[in-house]
Amino acid sequence: MLTERWKEDIVLLDGAMGTVLQQKGLPPGGKPELLALTDPALLLSVHREYVAAGSQIIYANTFGASAPKLARSGHTVAEVVPAAIAVAKEAAGRSAAVALDIGPLGELLEPMGTLTFEKAYEYFREIAIAGAAAGADLAVIETMTDLYEAKAALLAVKENTALPVFVTMSFEESGRTFTGCTVASMARTLEGLGADAIGLNCSLGPDLLAPLLKELCENTRLPVIAKPNAGLPDPVTGLYDMGPEAFAAALAPSLDAGVTIFGGCCGTSPAYIEALQKALAGKRPAARKYDAMGFVCTPTTPCRLDGVRVIGERINPTGKKRFQQALLEHDLDYILDVAVQQEDAGADILDVNVGYPGVDEAALLPEVVKKLQSAVRLPLQLDSSDPAALEAGLRVYNGKAAVNSVNGDAAVMARILPIVKKYGAAVVGLTLDKGGIPQTAQERVDIARRILDGALSYGIPREDVWIDCLTLTVSAQQEQAAETLRAVRTVREELGLQAVLGVSNISFGLPERRLITQSFLTQALAAGLTLPILNPGQREMMDAVAAFRVLSGEDRESRAYIARFADASVPAAPTATAGSLTLEDAIVRGLKTDAARLAGQALEAGEEPLALVEGRLIPALDKIGEDYERGTAFLPQLLSAAGAAQGVFEVIKTAIAQRGGESVKRGRLVLATVQGDIHDIGKNIVKTVLENYGYETIDLGRDVPPQVVADTVRKEHIRLVGLSALMTTTLPAMEETIRLLHTLPEPPAVVVGGAVVTPEYAKKIGADYYAKDARQSVEAARAVFGA
Amino acid sequence: MDENEIKLDINEVLRYLGVKDEPDGAAARAAAEEADKLLRNLRPRYVYRLFPLEYGPEGVVLSGSGVTLPGDMAGQMLAQCQEAALLACTLGAGFETMLRAAQARDMARAVILDACGSALVEAGCDLAEREIASRCPGKHLTDRFSPGYGDLPLGIQGAVCGALDAQKRLGIHVTESLLMNPTKSVTAVLGLAERPQPARIRGCAYCALAGTCTIRKGGKSCAD
Repeated sequence: MLTERWKEDIVLLDGAMGTVLQQKGLPPGGKPELLALTDPALLLSVHREYVAAGSQIIYANTFGASAPKLARSGHTVAEVVPAAIAVAKEAAGRSAAVALDIGPLGELLEPMGTLTFEKAYEYFREIAIAGAAAGADLAVIETMTDLYEAKAALLAVKENTALPVFVTMSFEESGRTFTGCTVASMARTLEGLGADAIGLNCSLGPDLLAPLLKELCENTRLPVIAKPNAGLPDPVTGLYDMGPEAFAAALAPSLDAGVTIFGGCCGTSPAYIEALQKALAGKRPAARKYDAMGFVCTPTTPCRLDGVRVIGERINPTGKKRFQQALLEHDLDYILDVAVQQEDAGADILDVNVGYPGVDEAALLPEVVKKLQSAVRLPLQLDSSDPAALEAGLRVYNGKAAVNSVNGDAAVMARILPIVKKYGAAVVGLTLDKGGIPQTAQERVDIARRILDGALSYGIPREDVWIDCLTLTVSAQQEQAAETLRAVRTVREELGLQAVLGVSNISFGLPERRLITQSFLTQALAAGLTLPILNPGQREMMDAVAAFRVLSGEDRESRAYIARFADASVPAAPTATAGSLTLEDAIVRGLKTDAARLAGQALEAGEEPLALVEGRLIPALDKIGEDYERGTAFLPQLLSAAGAAQGVFEVIKTAIAQRGGESVKRGRLVLATVQGDIHDIGKNIVKTVLENYGYETIDLGRDVPPQVVADTVRKEHIRLVGLSALMTTTLPAMEETIRLLHTLPEPPAVVVGGAVVTPEYAKKIGADYYAKDARQSVEAARAVFGA
Repeated sequence: MDENEIKLDINEVLRYLGVKDEPDGAAARAAAEEADKLLRNLRPRYVYRLFPLEYGPEGVVLSGSGVTLPGDMAGQMLAQCQEAALLACTLGAGFETMLRAAQARDMARAVILDACGSALVEAGCDLAEREIASRCPGKHLTDRFSPGYGDLPLGIQGAVCGALDAQKRLGIHVTESLLMNPTKSVTAVLGLAERPQPARIRGCAYCALAGTCTIRKGGKSCAD
């Protein structure tokens, strides 16, 4: 059967549809996605030419047949997809298979755009179901530049049809897609998610795509597809610069690298497929060399496990009152801040644990994953024992994640491993089981073997199994430190698996904990530990890792080590006026560390948090605010001062979380960038300044529908709403939002701002306050909430 | 100097930020650092295409592109031109990612990075403009003008991006409300004429922000 041949043999796809249609007279800007309805004969003739040229799989004309792209066409997916498949099937006859072609939706997904992952999945699901019902032989997801969108499409096809599915993405010469995705991240994520073949299409000619195709072949076991453009377009004529023979010849290196599925994209025609067929006649698939390396990633950050990789442990409520409070208050900004600090301290992977009594983990984990991935580039390790939470988190994760954890208990493996397999994650296996933690290294290694066998039986490759030999507290069970190290060594040497170990626990109950922890870390690394879980904020630990990387040869020419300590001979610069610096000065000058330190000292000396905020922090912010209004201070300084105030608030919140009691709250407001508008930095500036005046903000984000603003106001009993709009085209949405707010039983006050908003317009649309900048939004808040 | 080298004008960045006559130069230093970080991480990308012009009842038609430029400004700008280039330039999603990461760390730095991004996408347009000029020897370029300037409606944004295939080739998406995403993206029209073209659109008369512009309130103009 033709549709199975791609698994082991060389297979020819078709070439461009749009290019040929234009040659046949379709005007540029014409709607090719409706051709199956408007001119099926034209479509049929193009498909037939490809089949005659040797295409064994042809792509039905469904590339743009998604609900968002058809929105203004007057037609639906349910009409267009079956019609297009029927035309392709007619052309294919028995000579070729027909692929349902799934292109990008034409809207950017979160966090870049505002289309949610879930909504994108729904759009793709509709296409997949229609295509399968119409009799497509397989599905191809192509021209993707966002791995997240490719994932949504792939899940939609796999969960709703039985079709084999190919995925191809478009890369630039730099080796990245427009959204920054690397070839390795793409390959290993999509293979993990169960694609049947993967490859590259569009964007470049076969010559420039060759090195990327080679890299792709090394990063996957799957058949690899090449569907390049006919070179590059000339900006003056719009024509592509590579002819059929040159095109076919330029694909030869990719055949040698292991590509087996060939076709053409923009600028190609049946002549190109014919040339390809001639060039490939009698050829056999080349031998492939797969690099079976442990790996996790985000799209932009591939993390190869070929050395020591530090897993940051701080996103975890255990024993951390401030973190527990953040979870209960749904304070995702705080969690993001903890993540950012670990990334900046040198972590390679972040463990994410948000399980806490009173928290709906299955709802919160995906939300936290999205929040973290909006601003942190590191891969995540989702840490939970709740399968529903893990599945929800893995589903929305962009890239290849890790799961922490399973253990030797068969029931636990049966619950967790199918989810790990489905989403292509790596998994941590703890060497314990129902009988508890074994006391000897050998017993732990036995459990490790059981976990490995269990994972393999679910189809999880061995490089994705990470074993945690468990650290016990040395002050309680002294002989266990040596057993743990022995187990680590055996897991590395005999099983060849990645070794994970949370090291901090070793020193519990002892003085100078960091010394014990650092010594244990060093010994464990020597024993073969590859994935230490630790607090990257502890400099001693990261120093030990840096030193180990030199001694192991991982840090070539000690470059990273030298860079790390380049400034070490210079003593930490004391603040110019260290002795005399007041808290107020520190805030005004934007010295965050100093401000936090001085606030800590003031609290220790017995100053009340509220008095500190109202008597010192706010007057300091007012001073810089007045300078800003006078034009003697500028926006960056105003925001630096707000940043320093944030440092003070963090100290206050931590102190309050420790001893219990009411936080400092000076009024709560809603902020939103109006529907249709995606420029939100202005709103974020306002948020930063208001929060550091002590106001609590509910930030609804950007492109916020009026109804969402109104619902939030009603539910949360909000008295002030801040709205921003940057463009003339989005001002009507601002007006509409205010109109809706005025229909509420208790309408809130509204402050508006943004580049195109004027005081007159603000008045006209019924806003209560106009803020030309962040400073004036504070005045509005004062007017509503009192000083 | 390599004419393909991109440099950011720090004074322009400071102007976007509204910073002037700053005594200790801290913002200028921070801007230089952010500009350096930005240039080390990304380059503006652009595509352009030339189209012959026709003059129809609805405005200036870029023949074969599906784009018609209505309004007086386009008519005046292109009055002496037989051809025009459509140009799209973007910093791409990479900039959005950098900016989100910066906002999560330090808002003061983030606004400076944002201003650097605005300057960089303009610098990218300048680079594209030089390339167009060098590919069309003997031709004289008009000022660059964009949808949303003067009376050239923002409504043509989708058609301009469509004619350049900007979604596929640069990753630029035009939203329902006619904004471009990634946000640091610019589209523009440049006329090509046989004789030198006067600067016509420098100044506030054409600017949609003239009513609220803080530079203007300060008695200056961004064209100064």
